[in-house]
Amino acid sequence: MSKSSTTKSTYQIPIVPIHPALKEPVFFEFELDGEKIVDVDVKLGHVHRAIEWASRKRNPVQILYLAERICGICSYCHPIAFSLAVESTADIQVPERAEYLRVIHGELERICSHILWAGVAAHEIGFDTVLYLTWQIREKALDLTEYLTGNRVTKAITMIGGVRRDITQDMIPKVQESLKYFKDNFEKLRGIFLDDKTFKMRSQNCGVLTKENALKLCAVGPTTRASGVKKDVRVDTSYFAYGDLDINYTTPDILTGEVNGDVYDRIIVRLLEVKQSIDLIEQCLDKMPAGPIVAEPKIAKLLAQLKKANGEGVGLHEAPRGEVIHYVKFDGVNEAPYTWKVRAPTYNNILPWIPMLKGQQIADIPIVAASTDPCMSCTNRVAVIKNGNRYELNKEELHRLSVEKTRRLML
Amino acid sequence: MGKTRNIGGKIMTEEKILTAEEIVNNFTDEFKIKIKDTKIKKRSAGVKKNETAYIWMKIDKSAFKDIIKYLCELQFPHLAVVSGNDLGNSIELIYHFTLNYGNRMKETILNISVELPKSNLEIESICDLIPGALITEREKQEFLGVKFVGIPDNRRLFLPEDLPEGIYPWRKDETGPDKLYRNLHEVKK
Amino acid sequence: MKFSMLPKAFAQMFKKPWTNKFPAKYAPSNTTKFLENVQAGKAKIIPPVETPPGFRGKIQYDKEKCIGCQLCLKVCPSEAIEFKPEGKKIKIYLARCTFCSQCNDICPTNCLSMSNEFLLADSNLYSKDLIVE
Repeated sequence: MSKSSTTKSTYQIPIVPIHPALKEPVFFEFELDGEKIVDVDVKLGHVHRAIEWASRKRNPVQILYLAERICGICSYCHPIAFSLAVESTADIQVPERAEYLRVIHGELERICSHILWAGVAAHEIGFDTVLYLTWQIREKALDLTEYLTGNRVTKAITMIGGVRRDITQDMIPKVQESLKYFKDNFEKLRGIFLDDKTFKMRSQNCGVLTKENALKLCAVGPTTRASGVKKDVRVDTSYFAYGDLDINYTTPDILTGEVNGDVYDRIIVRLLEVKQSIDLIEQCLDKMPAGPIVAEPKIAKLLAQLKKANGEGVGLHEAPRGEVIHYVKFDGVNEAPYTWKVRAPTYNNILPWIPMLKGQQIADIPIVAASTDPCMSCTNRVAVIKNGNRYELNKEELHRLSVEKTRRLML
Repeated sequence: MGKTRNIGGKIMTEEKILTAEEIVNNFTDEFKIKIKDTKIKKRSAGVKKNETAYIWMKIDKSAFKDIIKYLCELQFPHLAVVSGNDLGNSIELIYHFTLNYGNRMKETILNISVELPKSNLEIESICDLIPGALITEREKQEFLGVKFVGIPDNRRLFLPEDLPEGIYPWRKDETGPDKLYRNLHEVKK
Repeated sequence: MKFSMLPKAFAQMFKKPWTNKFPAKYAPSNTTKFLENVQAGKAKIIPPVETPPGFRGKIQYDKEKCIGCQLCLKVCPSEAIEFKPEGKKIKIYLARCTFCSQCNDICPTNCLSMSNEFLLADSNLYSKDLIVE
């Protein structure tokens, strides 16, 4: 009887672009030992579209629309951060009414994005009924966006020095009716996500990111707030009208009293932020002062002013996924900026995937990866080797594995 | 108000909130001529006109790693991103840090810029001090051609593998990507 | 509550579905035949949801008011507007238009406006429906 000369060792799975839990392509490579993950490697670059290079021959007003198409769900935060950077460079003072209007649109986008994420997280667990319920609520938010800006997704409401459209007195009843609808349904959502046994058993102690790792790896957004780090650009710096409003950091100990840093905490943080956004919009509608909505209404004059601007500036904004930072440099000669650097929030949230996924099972990959709410389009402008043979898992396989684990836990 | 944080096994004691002027004075006292130029800009917003401070510092390349080490001991920063400029004969790297997060409206944005001559495009990597800098340093390596000495992972990040070596898309000189694109606006009139 | 979705899912069976069934209740298996039936009057298209005022649809151009200043060319992000030197008027290619309405804002004589038409799909990018002049 001869003994086998090979010993049991780890094998590697690539999860190729067209990934299950994300709506955009990214390449993961996992090293597995049985069903447990030992090591993770991430490769990017599938949606690289050379946007920063395309800005070299466009003037700042055209770049606003280029920035809007970096990502569909974050289509408000990129033009706004660019606008903040340009206003910081050229010393343009934004009127007060425009600051409040910008807050309203930013918070409305946050509501839409978090509700979409809640539906996607439910879908990954296998709870499709909740997906349809949350996206039904989101339809009302999109209707309100269409009423205020003219389109559901690409809002085109930002202009350098202010906003393009005003919220007049006759529009306010519709806004308040939508806010009332959100508040009534928020309790329904909260009950499902936070009290239902399915969610709790699937997401507690899964994909833990410790506070020390979150600080060292420079994570941003709800991912880091769920680990207990208090980092939120709206509260830390004074931009738009956040300095006048009543706002605080959202960490999971507001609801449960303790901080674990797992997927359940991230669900808590995002749902609490939806409530905070509804509250902020109401505060803005009460306190909004009257006045002009843009610093320079004649766009030809604005372009001439920006052509003479010389210097550099940064603009930071709290997107639904974290901190967005844009850097812009003008040289005083050309209309197009000399340099434009975009850094989307998912960029900083890639490295935390590695400590979060080590030690988890394959069936947990979709929910853990989706819990950081990645947006690969923003970031870019997984092969199994088992016993020496390499095979690939695709989207349906991984989703099926995730749903089967839920059924196993329920028995 | 002092807080303690445990970063990598080292306890950072007594972190108090530093104002922009105090930060600049700390650096100039410690490093004197290596800090070439500092500028503080304040922007206010909203009805109450609360201010946020932006510090822009130009430093000498030889003291770069010591300055970053000093910053980490002063208060562990949050590295937002590294951006780069092609200035003709040299490449300027700007490190965007934020300090004092966690306290309402006290955050300061610190931008440290280093200039590297094109004849010697090397700089030390800060991945041992701040592990979160890996992705942004890999991006600068492939887009600008800067070499980070001591970086743990040397592979390409965003660009495809079949893009030829030596083409750096963000540069404005002959190594730019101008040879690689076709006519962009083909419209049938 | 243990399975809090069950009562809500049960109640939905008796309520009207949220989806507006545009264009027909079930997706037609043969689109051209469906459109022929509509022309003949045998089938009916259920209309889409009403668009709000201020919706940014197909652009409308008032040729008389245009003075040929070319400011709209300067701000179009996708270079969808072409200047016709003879007559000093413009031509807009809807295949490239991003519907941002920036040209509306900058025009000094207000000759451009956005309508609420959004059903613009066509197999030929340069057909007559997709060029506004």
